[in-house]
Amino acid sequence: MTVIDKDKPSPEWIAQMRKRFKVEREIDRALTFKLEKRAGPAYSKLPLDTLVEGVRSLIASQYGEPFDIRNPHWLAGGASKLQMRFDLNWNRPGVGRETTRMVLRNDLAEALHATSRAREFQIVNALKGTLPVPPVFWYDNTGEHLPYPGIVYGFAEGVTKPSNAKSGVSGLGTYMPEDVRNKLAPQFVENMARLHTFDFRQAELSAFDIPQTGTENAHWAVNWWDRVWEEDADEEVPLVALASSWLHKHAPAVEQLSVVHGDFRTGNYLFDESDCRITTWLDWELARIGDRHQDLAWSTSRAFATMAEDGKTLLVSGLMPEPQFLEAYEQASGLSVDRKSLHYYQVFNAYAMVGMTLGTSYRVARNGKSHQDVLLAWLLGVGYMLLDEMRDLIEKGP
Amino acid sequence: MQLRPQIQIQTIIKAMMEDVIPALDQTNQLAMQSAQLTIGTLTMIAQHLPLEYRYDCDELARLIDAAAKLREQAQGGTQTEQAVLALRAALESGREVLDRARAEPSEIVEAVGLLRRATGDTVRAVYAESEPSVRDAVDATVLEVSKEQLLRDRSWLLMQGWEPDPGAVPAVETLLRPVGAV
Repeated sequence: MTVIDKDKPSPEWIAQMRKRFKVEREIDRALTFKLEKRAGPAYSKLPLDTLVEGVRSLIASQYGEPFDIRNPHWLAGGASKLQMRFDLNWNRPGVGRETTRMVLRNDLAEALHATSRAREFQIVNALKGTLPVPPVFWYDNTGEHLPYPGIVYGFAEGVTKPSNAKSGVSGLGTYMPEDVRNKLAPQFVENMARLHTFDFRQAELSAFDIPQTGTENAHWAVNWWDRVWEEDADEEVPLVALASSWLHKHAPAVEQLSVVHGDFRTGNYLFDESDCRITTWLDWELARIGDRHQDLAWSTSRAFATMAEDGKTLLVSGLMPEPQFLEAYEQASGLSVDRKSLHYYQVFNAYAMVGMTLGTSYRVARNGKSHQDVLLAWLLGVGYMLLDEMRDLIEKGP
Repeated sequence: MQLRPQIQIQTIIKAMMEDVIPALDQTNQLAMQSAQLTIGTLTMIAQHLPLEYRYDCDELARLIDAAAKLREQAQGGTQTEQAVLALRAALESGREVLDRARAEPSEIVEAVGLLRRATGDTVRAVYAESEPSVRDAVDATVLEVSKEQLLRDRSWLLMQGWEPDPGAVPAVETLLRPVGAV
């Protein structure tokens, strides 16, 4: 048997991965970029000045006037990105001379997702005016200016949870008090409905491939995580092989394609704590054009749910019971919820999360590629609960 | 089981060295010394862990050889006779245990890995070319074996707090058969 050293992938093996799994072109580029860099050095702490110089180079390459970077400092949070806050004094187009608060989100040597900053930039720009999204200014897709790829956003105000709320790592299991969730829940549904009815065909989304209606989008999605599993996992899991085969076999057709966020849940929006208004949707790196049921299923995952005060009602994304959520979504969007597709994407999402945790978290931590390897190794443990959720879903059927 | 002490220890040491120690008050000698000892101890555990079983078997084998010689050599009064009787019992018990300890832990893990891969490949092959009835049968077998294994995996990691209803997951000690009973 040929032993593949996934820590030092050969060009032949990388070519084999690219050929074997049909994914969108920009996703292929990001995954290939990851593999080509893998044998390189582990992540080592970057001085703040290195990021400042990288941002300076990035801005200078795309903005022709004088500017000044002030008050740079680290920003906490984010298991898969380094974040730096800074103030930019510049002649902002359409505004004039001002100081704008900004955030650099910089990739690591490897992280939980190997994704594209170009896609992130395009989708956030495209959704301006449709959803509350942060302003996005510049990106570096290949680490030409920054130590690793990165993107510069305007600083967004708000909190991910009430100041006194409890939550697990990465915002999982955030408990929202009843008065807060009663205000957030309708906005959560309304925002999802607006996203799924957004006319993406008129937007500049050249880093996205648009699948045919029918089953093509589902196969592309499964191929993405098939490839991630193949590239990152150390230990084979027979249930993963079964789930992949099952997902390809049962791919549902979609008649109306939508922009899918890919990580639509509590923890990925900010809200104003004084009036509970959602101010910004974050973390667009998994966005794709596909089936709305992917987001619906993601939001309803057990991994993001919390229990209501009665101890028996599971709240979707910590906000509302599932039947109420789905009914409100149908009303807000005018789109139907197909139970079979919802079930399919619940299996799919568990499959993707298993890939991220048991596959990617392991590989990144093993090779010391991130600033939070200890957190990624810890996250690996949730993979077994997710596997069991996936098993249960396949066994019970829609 | 992918979450093993080796990767956990490696990441803990990195977090200690890169994040925790630089944030400590460098003049607090007790805290600095304790942090360094924590890293040193973890490094030693990481070195010893893969060899611990071999280390113990190696000692057992040498003690068996020595006991066999002593049994022949030791002669004296009643006290010696009683000691040799106990030595003979311990020798037989030690031989029996060593006789059963034929595989290294790493060999068990490798055998598990090999079977996992072969099972996965069989599933993929069946989905690619077999009849629906065959597929259904294979589905049932894999789902069943996964259910049992995942119960143990989830129980093994219960203290991490991922389970929505931890009370429904039995303690791992009650789920694992003793090695001799497998």
